[in-house]
Amino acid sequence: MKGSKYLPIIPVYIGYLVLFLIARGMPGMWQLMAMLVFYCAVGQAFNIFFGMTGYVNFGYVAFLALGVYGMALAIHYFHQFSWLGLGIVIIGLLLAMVMAGLLSLVVGAVALRLGGAYFAIATIGVNEGFRYLIEGAKIWGGSEGIIFSKQMTEAFGREMANRLSTLWADISVLLIAAVAALITLYFIKGKIGYALMALREDEGAAKVMGINVTKYKLIAFVTSALLAGLIGAMAWGLKLTYVFPPEVFDISYTVEAIVIVMLGGAGTLLGPVVGGLLYGLAKYWLTVILPGFQLLIFAPIIIVIVVAFPEGVVGVLKRRVKGTALEPFIL
Amino acid sequence: MALLRLEKVTKRFGGLVAVNEVDLHIEAGESIGIVGPNGSGKTTLYNVISGVYTPEEGRVFFEEQEITFLPPYRRAHLGLGRTFQISRPFGSATVRENVAVGALFGTLHGRIGVDEALKLADRYIELVGLSELKDKVAGSLTPVEKKLMEVARALAMRPKLLLMDEAMAGMHPKDIDRLVGLLKEIKEEEKIAMVAMVEHIMRAVVGFAERVVVMHFGRKLVDAPTAEALKDPKVVEVYLGCPLEEK
Amino acid sequence: MIWNQLAGNLTQGLILGGVYGMATMGLSLIFGVLRVVNVGHGAFVMVGAFVAFWLFTALGLTPIAAIPAALVVGMALGFLFFYSVMRRLVGAPELTSLLATFAMGIILEEVVKLIFGTEYRGYNWDVGRVDLSVTVLPWAKIYAFLGSVAIAVLLYLWFNKTRAGTAVRSVVEDSEGARVCGVNVGWIYALSFAIGIGLTVASGVLLTMFIPVGINPYMGGPYTLKAFVIAVLGGLASPYGAFFGGLIFGLIENGSYTLFALLPGAEPFALTRFLSFAILLLILLLKPTGLLGAKE
Repeated sequence: MKGSKYLPIIPVYIGYLVLFLIARGMPGMWQLMAMLVFYCAVGQAFNIFFGMTGYVNFGYVAFLALGVYGMALAIHYFHQFSWLGLGIVIIGLLLAMVMAGLLSLVVGAVALRLGGAYFAIATIGVNEGFRYLIEGAKIWGGSEGIIFSKQMTEAFGREMANRLSTLWADISVLLIAAVAALITLYFIKGKIGYALMALREDEGAAKVMGINVTKYKLIAFVTSALLAGLIGAMAWGLKLTYVFPPEVFDISYTVEAIVIVMLGGAGTLLGPVVGGLLYGLAKYWLTVILPGFQLLIFAPIIIVIVVAFPEGVVGVLKRRVKGTALEPFIL
Repeated sequence: MALLRLEKVTKRFGGLVAVNEVDLHIEAGESIGIVGPNGSGKTTLYNVISGVYTPEEGRVFFEEQEITFLPPYRRAHLGLGRTFQISRPFGSATVRENVAVGALFGTLHGRIGVDEALKLADRYIELVGLSELKDKVAGSLTPVEKKLMEVARALAMRPKLLLMDEAMAGMHPKDIDRLVGLLKEIKEEEKIAMVAMVEHIMRAVVGFAERVVVMHFGRKLVDAPTAEALKDPKVVEVYLGCPLEEK
Repeated sequence: MIWNQLAGNLTQGLILGGVYGMATMGLSLIFGVLRVVNVGHGAFVMVGAFVAFWLFTALGLTPIAAIPAALVVGMALGFLFFYSVMRRLVGAPELTSLLATFAMGIILEEVVKLIFGTEYRGYNWDVGRVDLSVTVLPWAKIYAFLGSVAIAVLLYLWFNKTRAGTAVRSVVEDSEGARVCGVNVGWIYALSFAIGIGLTVASGVLLTMFIPVGINPYMGGPYTLKAFVIAVLGGLASPYGAFFGGLIFGLIENGSYTLFALLPGAEPFALTRFLSFAILLLILLLKPTGLLGAKE
């Protein structure tokens, strides 16, 4: 009986396993699979806050950006200590989490006490604000960013550095996605899940029922931010070996996260995975046949989903499998 | 020590004084009825007690601890439960999950896990007679079923004081009698839960309340044992009628 | 010497602030009546900028003529978006309308990009300047300021003296009550939304009178942030608060620019953008209903 709580994770992990096997097995598929996993991971991290609380964080990409900076700074400052070896990567990850976490605490503590509209307003400025802080105060490389490929070679040796960028970065994203899925499951089924459900449905009633809504919103917000930081550190940092403010603070990544989660089904476990796969494949396909048109196609899709189809693919799926044998697996 | 004590509580909205210098005390285990015409300030009074509003003047005490400025969720932990005039179920969750929320975050918060909470929820769902519906999505319930669910949800909080706002509105007299009987039962069993209501429906008030508080234009008009209060000429005048016949 | 420069910058800031304020009035109106935050705000400003640009370069019309044109374009867009999308979202959770307006903004940007491309455009409308001892003000900027004030006054008159305006006010107070009194609430929502968008697009024209360069499809972003800071400053639901909030913001923005420029090794332009964000957080922390705040 106890174990049955974890059944819903099975389809998710099967999905990830399949992606991994395809990537390893079929030549030339690695990059595409890596991109799909990236979108699933981003979707899951974003879903933990957006899907579970119903609040929109328009500045989401800033957490990914801080993640890259964390990794970049770690490599930049510690690369001479090559005796640390892969410890530098660990430092980078820790730094990524600390930075993303701090920003989320600051923004969250100020903005989460207020309602959804004010919160959205507060987060609009997070990208802009932080990016211009970096450029304006000329910290962390200012508007030129940081390029650390050479420093990686110095720190880890050419071969290792190469493997980190091409193999381990992507595998880490897969691992992060798997962890995010587990956390999501815990958030849905556990006490936190009840609190978040209540505050999402009716914040006023939730308060009267004894729920400290600000605390729970903050927990979801910070968790989502920490995961985003890790993803940024790996998928952008280690993999691309440079960070450039206009790119990493680009709001289109937030748009993508919104599309992925809403398309798949906000607040569900399987939703971001499905959304990530669908979106990733659609984008890949579009880039091939209609480059430059992605936003123009996806923005109206957001509207259509929001107006006509708010529960997303998995939302509809959940309703269909009610009462069937599949029900415990689809969450 | 009074369970709940209000001291000269005044709540204003701009120029409108909704609650005007109200003193109130409720002892543990009492059943009180709060009545009054529409706009007399009953629901506002409730909102001040449960923490949704902060009064401009006056103080609120729970077990002699001042809670005037305490946020609603903390009051719930202390033992204040409430239902709403217009049902506020958590619409996309099941009845069971709804009631479990009460169990998880009421007076037992921090000491109860999800599985236990669900079991507790089942108990209260059965108590109000909704067992067949417990896995139904709350949003699909009828208004009466929603009200019953709210009662179960508030009870699952194991409160010391239960504020019920128009719980009986729209109910068939048979259902009202049943609910009143239920509440009396619960009061006896749980001992701790004290139930106060805000009702237009005299049938419920007379059946249930030992003491009645009558509100009028934000002021407390009368605060006396039920029979006495309903015969009070001031009350009769306010309700524009003749003295209530015993049913 | 520095005081002169500061005084000059502040004057410029005040004038610019008037335009900012006017740009935010649409945002506040839409929120006040429909409780919708137009997250795509900047994109509509951008549309106005392009209207001014196109009318000037293609038809040789002065920006002053572009103002009413932009108002019309804006209201048309507003009605279009309302009836196609927003109307279906009445009563939906806040989240939904946030996402819808966000997506609308993006659609606008992409469509404009398709038509005009991504290069930076500009135009030159030189009607001479005025020399106040502390600073030199081009007449264009003064016209922009006057235009903003004029529109604000017109809005005030409309709200208080016309039937439609009074209907809008009644809906803000109590939509059910208004409905019972015979007000066609659905139409009022549409009208308010359209006027709000119209104001926003018109402000884009005025903005180009100030900054006639750098016009491109993605220029809206910073203006969205500024507008939100101003709206929160002035009280989110109050269009008049927005106007005065704009004035204050203009002063702060320019004043801080001068001060930041004094710091060695800093980039003042980027820092003023950061300052907007910091101010926003500060106000939300201390007094979310705004400095000039009306009760929510």
